[in-house]
Amino acid sequence: MDAAWIVYRKEIIEILRDRRTLMAIGLAALATPIVLSVISQISTRTATQTYTVGYTGDVPTGLDELMVATNLKLVAVTDPAAAAKQQVDIGVAFGAAEVDEYYDPSRQSAQIAATRLETVLGQYGAAQAAAALQSRGIDPGILSPVHLVAHPLSSPVKASSNAFLSFFLPYILITMILTGGFSAALDSTAGERERKTLESLLLTPAPRSRVLLGKIAAVTTISLVAAVAAIGSMFVALSQISLPGPSSSAHITLNPVAVPVMVWVALLIGVSFSSVTLALGTLAKTFRQGQAYVTPLYFITIFPASIILFIPDFNPGLAIYLVPILNAVLVLRDAIVHNAVEWSTLAVTSVSLLATGAISWFAALRLFTREGLLTRS
Amino acid sequence: MTVERLEKTLGKNRVLRGISFQAAAGEIFGLLGPNGAGKTTTLRIICTLLAPDKGTVDVLGFDTRKAPEEVRRLIGVVTADIGVYPRLSARENIAYFAQLSRVPDRDLRRRVEGVIERLDIESFADQRAESLSSGQKQKVAIARAIVHDPQVLMFDEPTSNLDVLASREVREFMVESKARGKCVIFSTHVMHDAERLCDRITILHEGQVVASGATAEVRGGRRELEDAFLDLVGVK
Repeated sequence: MDAAWIVYRKEIIEILRDRRTLMAIGLAALATPIVLSVISQISTRTATQTYTVGYTGDVPTGLDELMVATNLKLVAVTDPAAAAKQQVDIGVAFGAAEVDEYYDPSRQSAQIAATRLETVLGQYGAAQAAAALQSRGIDPGILSPVHLVAHPLSSPVKASSNAFLSFFLPYILITMILTGGFSAALDSTAGERERKTLESLLLTPAPRSRVLLGKIAAVTTISLVAAVAAIGSMFVALSQISLPGPSSSAHITLNPVAVPVMVWVALLIGVSFSSVTLALGTLAKTFRQGQAYVTPLYFITIFPASIILFIPDFNPGLAIYLVPILNAVLVLRDAIVHNAVEWSTLAVTSVSLLATGAISWFAALRLFTREGLLTRS
Repeated sequence: MTVERLEKTLGKNRVLRGISFQAAAGEIFGLLGPNGAGKTTTLRIICTLLAPDKGTVDVLGFDTRKAPEEVRRLIGVVTADIGVYPRLSARENIAYFAQLSRVPDRDLRRRVEGVIERLDIESFADQRAESLSSGQKQKVAIARAIVHDPQVLMFDEPTSNLDVLASREVREFMVESKARGKCVIFSTHVMHDAERLCDRITILHEGQVVASGATAEVRGGRRELEDAFLDLVGVK
């Protein structure tokens, strides 16, 4: 039996008996649905909530009914500006020819109420103008001489769903691959040193490269299991939860092209991360020290995923696809948003991630075969 | 086993300064010395965990530099640091090392059960190692070191973390291994143990051999080996 397979099997058994790793995978599977559920509930509540409008003066005829219909509740106050600070969401002073609006931009409820009021007032004004024209026998259609007919090139609902997925999916994939294997990688390196089993392991005739290969394969397996658990639970949650906005009537689904791209990229990232975390774990004397070494890696890898959130239309040249992790995020985004991936970007990304994996593997092997591995302890 | 003119520097510390000795099958060979004398470094070089800066080690015809994997197949090592995999049972721990030591699949069960019986591990063989006592863990450590039936057995301070009963069992095991024709290397700073067990000894001090020969020879006219040891390392 090959030594790598023997080590792999033993590592998997140990990992499956390790509460820390099982908790990490369990949390990975639970965290996403919980987060999505909370987001969904808050969004739904925000969309349907009634906001209060403190007012002075005479409310124009019919406007009060329109406001009630849009969940804006009128409350008479003496000073709308003062009331808008805390007592009500926005304050309004109705005058003969104008309406003064008071709101605190630092309050989200005030911003939503203000937007809703502006929409209501716009509709009220248009209705009043149309009624006046009609009473004089003029077609109200002259108010809108040009009609805009929109022809979206793809389903707006799908686009909204893709925009959500293009950020959330790479983020979860990368986070879970890293954190899912984090504990297992440290346990099989720094943990071995701490438990004083490392020397016994290295005393066996098994070549160290095969021992390391078995460990990397085990950590990669656990990383991918954590990622699959997280992504699987995310899609289960999305099938149950309606997000606000245009996508509320449809479920969020993944494009067919994105699935194989995701699997391929996950595999490459999994191998690279496993090698890197094992190398860092090999440098550490204890599990705790290993945690200190690996934690910065988490922040470094989260940064590229955030780029998609802050710059959704980021379309860099081919050279940027050489940057590991960022390239994976971009390729995944392309697959999710456009349902297509350019072969050149996928090839560059694959080469980059394979090279990262190879360099990480080589570094881990160098660390694993040097004398310092034992004399450090 | 032949060790010739071993030299080793770790960091700025010159740990070994030309160590030479031979150990034969069917004897317990003592490697003695105070802490820091170079005993553990010597053993680590013999079992190929460290490479010597100069000198050679030959184990049953295999050079440790040229054929490290062959050498590791021929030796079994028991140390004071009893590291066992806590989430594996005693039996799983032993089987894991048997497989890594290339025990053929067809012999695996027989070999594992053989050492379990020989070391009286049966009663706790299926318990996870994390729940075992120090003495039980040491038995597991010995079992995994001998499960591939090595010709050379090395014990590096094997009783330093054990109680009286467990220590006695380890000593008895060393004597039994000698009777089976194994070459037993016993590294210790406990002179009393060395005097009782070893056929021949080498005393190391500051990385050099200060005495070597049959135990009685090294003791000379002194009452105990400890007296000879203290004289040799320069303690009045």
